[in-house]
Amino acid sequence: MIISLWRYSHLLLAISSAIFLLIASVTGIILALEPMSDVIKPYAIDNIEDITISETITALQKEYDEIIEITVEENDFVIASVVTKEGNDERIYVNPRTGEKLGVPERKSGVFKFATNLHRSLFLKGIGRFFVGLISLLLIFIVITGILLIGKRQGGILKFFSKVNKEYVNQFYHVVIGRWFFVPIIIIAFTGVYLSLEKFALLPKYEVPHRISAQTEQKKETIASISFPIFKKITLTNVKSIEFPFSDDVEDYFTLELINKELIVHQFSGNILSEQQYPFVKLVSYYSLLLHTGKGNVFWSVVLLVTCVAILFFMYSGFYMTVQRRKGSNLIYNIEDKDASEYIILVGSENGSTYTFANYLRSALLSVGKTVFVAELNAYTTYQEAKHIIAITATYGDGEAPTNAKRFNRLFSTIEPVNRLQFSVVGLGSLAYPEFCKFAEDIDEMFRRHSKFISSLSLEKINNKSTDDFKNWIQKWGVSVGVSLDTKTVIEDENWKRDVFKIIDKTYINTDNTFLLRLKPRDTSIDFRSGDLLAIRPEENMVERLYSIARIDGDVILSVKKHDLGVCSTYLSKVGKGDIIKAAIKHNVNFYFPSNTKDAILIANGTGIAPFLGMMKNKNRSTRVTLFWGVRTKKSIDIYNDFINFSLMKEGTRHIAYSRENNIYVQDLIRNETDSVINVLNRGGVVMICGSNDMLKGVISVLEKAVKNQLNVSLNTFIENEQIKIDCY
Amino acid sequence: MKTIFRIVLLTVSAVFTLVSFTSEPNTTSLKCMIQMVNYTGEGAYVVISLIKPEGEYNQTLYVQGKDSEWYSDITEWWKFYGKRRLDIDAISGATIAGGERTVSIIKIPKDRIDAGYKIRFETAVEDQEYYKKDVEFELTSETLASKVKGKGFIRYVRMLPQ
Repeated sequence: MIISLWRYSHLLLAISSAIFLLIASVTGIILALEPMSDVIKPYAIDNIEDITISETITALQKEYDEIIEITVEENDFVIASVVTKEGNDERIYVNPRTGEKLGVPERKSGVFKFATNLHRSLFLKGIGRFFVGLISLLLIFIVITGILLIGKRQGGILKFFSKVNKEYVNQFYHVVIGRWFFVPIIIIAFTGVYLSLEKFALLPKYEVPHRISAQTEQKKETIASISFPIFKKITLTNVKSIEFPFSDDVEDYFTLELINKELIVHQFSGNILSEQQYPFVKLVSYYSLLLHTGKGNVFWSVVLLVTCVAILFFMYSGFYMTVQRRKGSNLIYNIEDKDASEYIILVGSENGSTYTFANYLRSALLSVGKTVFVAELNAYTTYQEAKHIIAITATYGDGEAPTNAKRFNRLFSTIEPVNRLQFSVVGLGSLAYPEFCKFAEDIDEMFRRHSKFISSLSLEKINNKSTDDFKNWIQKWGVSVGVSLDTKTVIEDENWKRDVFKIIDKTYINTDNTFLLRLKPRDTSIDFRSGDLLAIRPEENMVERLYSIARIDGDVILSVKKHDLGVCSTYLSKVGKGDIIKAAIKHNVNFYFPSNTKDAILIANGTGIAPFLGMMKNKNRSTRVTLFWGVRTKKSIDIYNDFINFSLMKEGTRHIAYSRENNIYVQDLIRNETDSVINVLNRGGVVMICGSNDMLKGVISVLEKAVKNQLNVSLNTFIENEQIKIDCY
Repeated sequence: MKTIFRIVLLTVSAVFTLVSFTSEPNTTSLKCMIQMVNYTGEGAYVVISLIKPEGEYNQTLYVQGKDSEWYSDITEWWKFYGKRRLDIDAISGATIAGGERTVSIIKIPKDRIDAGYKIRFETAVEDQEYYKKDVEFELTSETLASKVKGKGFIRYVRMLPQ
């Protein structure tokens, strides 16, 4: 299982409530506007906390025949039900200071009515209300699982608000926005559930039981209501409503509904006959309604609105992340059985992206006819035919094992491998985390301590899922285990952006079947350097071809070998000066010419010279460059003369092998010059190799021997510290 | 000619004055309070109607509830009102929820009192019951100031002549 239980729950809850949540959020956005639209109405009373009940009654009595009820709304609107001097009843907004009529309560506008209905019952009456309540409940669980996930990701609840590692926009903001908005969301969800429970009468019943004893009812004295001490004391800010006595019968009272209690007041004496505090359930209902609707508080209604927008974003980004993970984890399918495979790739992944990397390696191995078996680290077991084991793993949270690698530790200590195995570990992670690739380090250590495992390459840590770094590692690893791997066609960057280039120069096809192209990017601000790659896809859905390029005077220079069956090279051989092609620049930072090096040895065969053309042309004067190059004939180099005049290069810095004429290859030239190569490596200089994998193999074997004999270290040391840079295909 | 015109004008205005004055004294204003029982659910629709001695609807006096889409749920009254749908905006108010009370002024033609006419209170609540005769009693001089218990969503109705 790739996704942990919490994440699985988080996702499952989100999926099952998606449609309802979508409706609720969209209508929620509309409804959040209602309290805002109320505020602009001119009925709000300033300083309502200064106006007493008795002032209000005095003012209203002057203007109207009788007062039936006074209601104070959350937004400080005062509504009075009165009988006018003409004998009609009216429900109007009034100014409690003057009794002046301010307006008539309008009917809820159609949009809000529609949105309200959809929001709380989906137009399905009781059933709809039940569903909406249930979805609110699910939302609470979504928030809880979300909080747990953020806690895990950040490496503990205490680090909840520490820096978030950015993998991609949707993931980053899902976390960042999530850890702030969980507060309003949980408030909305909880109050939503509460209001639903109330509607379904599932809450304990509350009644405010007033008991009025017979004695207190006696009519002893008569005071005008405006002189009641209680009416002089209470101001409108505490009042929800005041019901006036229906008649002058002593059994008719004033009923005062305040924020937290209800009072029964004798209509003649002003005595409080009964005072009942509201039970907790009723207060919660009251505040739930306020918090859920934002009534009377513009600031909170803005928060509610933004929260609804945030929920929509969570839905979008959450599903986006899920799709991304699925893409990653669906890639493994093994052709060979575990006991029939020579290469075992073990994956430790929290969200599936590590599988993408495992798959690159797997494809590269399969393309050269190797048998590969991919499994999660938790499935570690014995492998009959295996010779190599490669663990590619992420680290989760605070240096912990990812979900599908949690059992590896225990399995490893109990399972004895059948054969001696060469191992190599790749850690994927982010330098932003303090425990960068910690789990990979742990695994590497475990293999290292085990007598049956031999290290083929030291631990590789890859930052921010860099495919370039991984590709580079594949090459290094291939060299160390003696397999030449083609990574160019295997690793693809899915979101590649193509640019437009104009062909401004093209050479003839020389005796090597090779020609040069000079392209000018239409967008001159494109960032690229010698050593980068140009990806060309002659037809859609085709595997792209990558060419190593040079940058000379802002133009792209590439060297193309025409293969009779090569679709891409045939396509390029047909384009002419002035034509437009679309291609993408891919950065290949591991093959850039170091800016501060004193000595560099460049080794190429055939078209592999391309990046070096730019490097040699643009290098510092103080940098000494020695070139080793293999072509077929003397005539082969003529097409390059526009860029480098090889005949002008200093004696001893130019070694060209003409395979057709002298039957000499690049590795033979190097064999004669091992001392100077060793010297350069020893002094901290770089060796860059570009060209075919066969050439690479030959060169590596020559160098390996030389390094071993003269320096008594492995060539891998130089590959690992990037003194030897490789870009072969 | 002039005098004829004056006479006509005078007569017309006299008739108008008479009509406008007579219409008022012909009705009695009643203060009417409806107290609801403590039910849970949506606000109740209440319709107050005058019923002829034969049992047919005569006039709609008051409607609690302004959303006309629910009017058809008050089935008996809808048969009467739904045909013509007179403007009842002036005699309608907001719905009232369980436990609440509402007080309104209703106007009854004087000739309907002590004439065998009845006043009927019909109630309906969304997704709940409909009571055709939640409260119904005959309009007499005595009942104009009375308290009558309800059978459905209404606990009691109280009336008081203004």
